[in-house]
Amino acid sequence: MDKISRLDRTPFKSLKTTLILLLVVAVYIWAGQSLDLNLQTLGKSWPYVIDFARRLFPPDFSVLDVAVKSLLETVQMSLWGTTLGALLSVPIAIASAHNVAPVPLQWAANFLQNAVRSVPSIILGLVFVSATGLGAQAGTMSLTIYTVGYLAKFFQEAIESLDARSLDSLVTIGAKPLQILRYGVLPQVMPLILGYTLWMFEYNIRAASVLGVVGAGGIGFQLKSYIDGFEYQKATTMMLVLLAVVTMIDLFSSKLRQRLEN
Amino acid sequence: MGLNGAGKSTLLRCLAGLVPIQQGQVQILGHDATPRNYGQIRQHLGTIMQGGGLIPQLSAIENVLCGCLGRYSSWQTLMGLPLPEQTRSAQLLEQFGLADKANTVVKQLSGGQQQRVAIARALMQNATILLADEPTNGLDIMVAKQVMDTLANLNQNQGMTIVAVLHDLKMAATYAHRAIILDQGKIFYDGDTNCLTEKFAQLHTTQHHVS
Repeated sequence: MDKISRLDRTPFKSLKTTLILLLVVAVYIWAGQSLDLNLQTLGKSWPYVIDFARRLFPPDFSVLDVAVKSLLETVQMSLWGTTLGALLSVPIAIASAHNVAPVPLQWAANFLQNAVRSVPSIILGLVFVSATGLGAQAGTMSLTIYTVGYLAKFFQEAIESLDARSLDSLVTIGAKPLQILRYGVLPQVMPLILGYTLWMFEYNIRAASVLGVVGAGGIGFQLKSYIDGFEYQKATTMMLVLLAVVTMIDLFSSKLRQRLEN
Repeated sequence: MGLNGAGKSTLLRCLAGLVPIQQGQVQILGHDATPRNYGQIRQHLGTIMQGGGLIPQLSAIENVLCGCLGRYSSWQTLMGLPLPEQTRSAQLLEQFGLADKANTVVKQLSGGQQQRVAIARALMQNATILLADEPTNGLDIMVAKQVMDTLANLNQNQGMTIVAVLHDLKMAATYAHRAIILDQGKIFYDGDTNCLTEKFAQLHTTQHHVS
């Protein structure tokens, strides 16, 4: 009887898989319509790309000191923005997680997360530049809010992936909610939280470069100034310094994340 | 005991107050098992969940210490637990031959060592009833025997009542005083452990006829 019911399900399953595949293909076709992809134009554009790339070299290292100074400012912005954002994300993530928070609180916290995440970083930059003026302060505030949008979600998923049995065993011991948080939830999610925060720190260094475009401080501000002034070789120096620092931070944080996981 | 999906773990979770009781009544130590009474009941009720239910990232001694959380308020335990409790946890680990593993993170311990930490945590709680969901699951024969010997010792020498979900008929016959076989959430057999093989044969026959 079991065998018969299994055989019965097979054609239905393959029909379901085919329908899902067709749906996925239809979504891609729909998404491609507004891209207005034209292979001929793409082919013709290569000489312009090569010409632009040629103008970037050789790098002008006379602005190395400016690059290092503005990059340090970017790192400082990212450090503070990521830290403040991570701290704000913890309570929001706890309030959003279905395995620890009551349903009305989950809804409110998830709505807050979605609202924050739907605001592009550049808009946050514009808002804070108009509030606090040009410079790193506006950038740091923007990064803080931008970080909340992502880390709150990552932290929430870390909390939701907790081993339910370990929390249940604390419940049966008679532990109160704050004790479950302190002895059950935090020890399990802390390595993940630190790992995600390190990743966000790296990411924010690149995001901070975009914020510079609207005057929110950091290396992006200098980078845009050089590109606007057609000083491409100076811009290349800025990008090379950025590449070197991002690579170094990536190496360092990868090692640290590996240690946290063990 | 019972086949997969018979409701063994659910019954244990009902007794621990983790699953609401829809029909019938549960009494533990003379108290009706209702949400209002669980605060009092849980002072006497230890649990070993499948896989131990320990916090993998905490050390063995920290896990054992968690056993006394129910005796303190949240604020009293925010910065750690009192020294006498720490001493007692260390003594319990020593009693179970885990003194040298006290500061080892639980996820680095073997399955048998983890089960012993879970038992030590129940003792830290001063539990008089221990609910153990498949306490020998995933352990080799020798380690499983050690865990069952420990539980039997607690029952005989400390008077602890042990309700365990087991799959091994021979093990149940060796250690248990009473066996309950569940079938689809209902009691199929409740009695001594001498005739478990026959009862399971009957259970298989009944299921075969139903299907």
